[in-house]
Amino acid sequence: MNFFSEFADRGAGWMQEHWLLPLLYQFHLMQWEDISYGWALFAIYGLVQVVATYAVCMPLERARPIERWASQKAVITDVIYTLVMRVGLVPIMAFVAFYTVQTWVNGFIVDAGWIPPSLETIFPVLLGHPVVVFILYLIILDFADYWRHRLSHRFRWWYSLHSLHHAQRQMTFWSDDRNHLLDDLISAFWFGAIALLIGVAPMQFPLLVLVARFLESFSHANTRISFGPIGEYLLVSPRFHRLHHGIRAAGRRSVNYGAIFPWWDMMFGSADFAPVYAPTGDPSADEAMHSGSYWAQQRSGLRRLARALGPKAG
Amino acid sequence: MRFALAVAVLAALSWQTARAAHLAFVVDSRDPGVGVIDMDSKQELRSIPMLREPNHLVLTPDGKSLIVADDGGNALFFLDPDNGNFQRRIAAADPYQLQFSPNGQFLTVAGFARAQIDIYDGNTFALLHRIHARAEPSHIAYTPNSDTVFVSLQASDSLVAISTVTGNVLWKVKVGLTPAGVLWDRGKVLVGIMGSNYVAVVDPADGHEIRRIVTDKGAHNLFYSPDGRQIWICNRVAGSISVIDAKSLDLIRSYRLPGGPDDLDFAPDGKVWVARRFAESVAVLDPVSGNFLVIPVGLSPHGIWLNTHPHKG
Repeated sequence: MNFFSEFADRGAGWMQEHWLLPLLYQFHLMQWEDISYGWALFAIYGLVQVVATYAVCMPLERARPIERWASQKAVITDVIYTLVMRVGLVPIMAFVAFYTVQTWVNGFIVDAGWIPPSLETIFPVLLGHPVVVFILYLIILDFADYWRHRLSHRFRWWYSLHSLHHAQRQMTFWSDDRNHLLDDLISAFWFGAIALLIGVAPMQFPLLVLVARFLESFSHANTRISFGPIGEYLLVSPRFHRLHHGIRAAGRRSVNYGAIFPWWDMMFGSADFAPVYAPTGDPSADEAMHSGSYWAQQRSGLRRLARALGPKAG
Repeated sequence: MRFALAVAVLAALSWQTARAAHLAFVVDSRDPGVGVIDMDSKQELRSIPMLREPNHLVLTPDGKSLIVADDGGNALFFLDPDNGNFQRRIAAADPYQLQFSPNGQFLTVAGFARAQIDIYDGNTFALLHRIHARAEPSHIAYTPNSDTVFVSLQASDSLVAISTVTGNVLWKVKVGLTPAGVLWDRGKVLVGIMGSNYVAVVDPADGHEIRRIVTDKGAHNLFYSPDGRQIWICNRVAGSISVIDAKSLDLIRSYRLPGGPDDLDFAPDGKVWVARRFAESVAVLDPVSGNFLVIPVGLSPHGIWLNTHPHKG
């Protein structure tokens, strides 16, 4: 973890010194220097995510594919989703919003004579043990994400947005980021609130997201891989998550909501360890949601949301 | 024989202690922690863990504590300046930059993210005044009589003067693009104009600009040399350090020092220790030759302090 952080920091520092600062200086925008450094970090984290995921998943998808398709045009849109979400401005905007809110909330807590919550202040023994803290935060955030995901299937209006994610019939490791922007926004609020509650360090957050997102991408891969009789119960495998994306599991009757750990599904009765590789997609979704362009998919999601919230909804 | 051995061991131990006392404290904002470097061996001995994102540090007027401000963690950590041992921690809202008044009566803390300036009692650390100052208050300087504190406001291109006694804003004036470091110098206030390439010389009475001293791109922070004759200025964008005469304010010399030079401190041997924000290292600059030695440290080193300054130890 330290090696990776150091690599990312050095890269971001280099970008900041040689590209971003001269650019900001030239355009009289030096008040954004902290933000630009943050963006550089995010961009590097995102780029590493994409490259690492590609390096691991692409050979596996080629060697052990579950499905083969004549045309992969629908996958290209998923690549755009991934680049926008992982290297673009979206993560830094989310980070700035989160950091600002966290600073203000914690400031008020301190002013009121309290100490802002964090794992290290609640359990001082954790101070100076970043790896342990990191793993604990990962478990807590994955638990929170399990319930966010499960609720997104439970409520019709929410699933009308989330169905965009399920509409893909050619599911690959690129499919993880294909989400409606409003669904992403809700996720950001959800994660932000939880992170605020448990005191995730702002600069610790991107690394958490990075590891989590790698595992999530991997679980979407079009590859015939299971983690074996023990591993299947420890981490979410492509086989386990594919059941969640299965045609029969679309909508409210879904299974396997866990993103990283299958434990929550096992605890709350939604786990399905059947040894099958089901076809994916959501029959209730418009064709535009599957094969449309980025914006066509977004529009389709809004239309479905309007129908869900409309007078005939029920 | 035993006595001689004991004396030798004790002597060796005391020599070790004395040697270990020459320490550099470097705030690694993103680790987050405070790196402790043995100034003689130039090796990092250990890292003192902080909560979230520490940035700056200051010695208490009595010299007994080194305060590290962890703005992300909303905490002030008190460390022993002799060895870095943890003394205590108090809660404080968004403490980014901090500075004691010359008389030690006040501690001004700039809350960069929350756009607030807090003036604490320098002894009890009770909050005396909070001034909401848009936006991004960063660096701090006082008048010699401690009556007034000046704080740069990076996002509004301004410098604000505040009465430490009443907490009232005396004036707020635009001084240049993204002002950063502030220094009181012989009846004037010097402000590093980070969005440009100069130091603004400002009248402390009303904030109007008297003069500009061109240094280099991204003039950031300002520091007196130990003898008070020179002022050292870090230029963050250019990756350089400018030295000006404190009296005439004329440029004396420049050093090329890439890596985002930020805070610096002066060692007894004449070397200058500089935190390189974007290069994860500290540079030990020889002012005579202009060469510098690089010491790898933690992530995003920001504040730096050498315990070779006179203090309680």
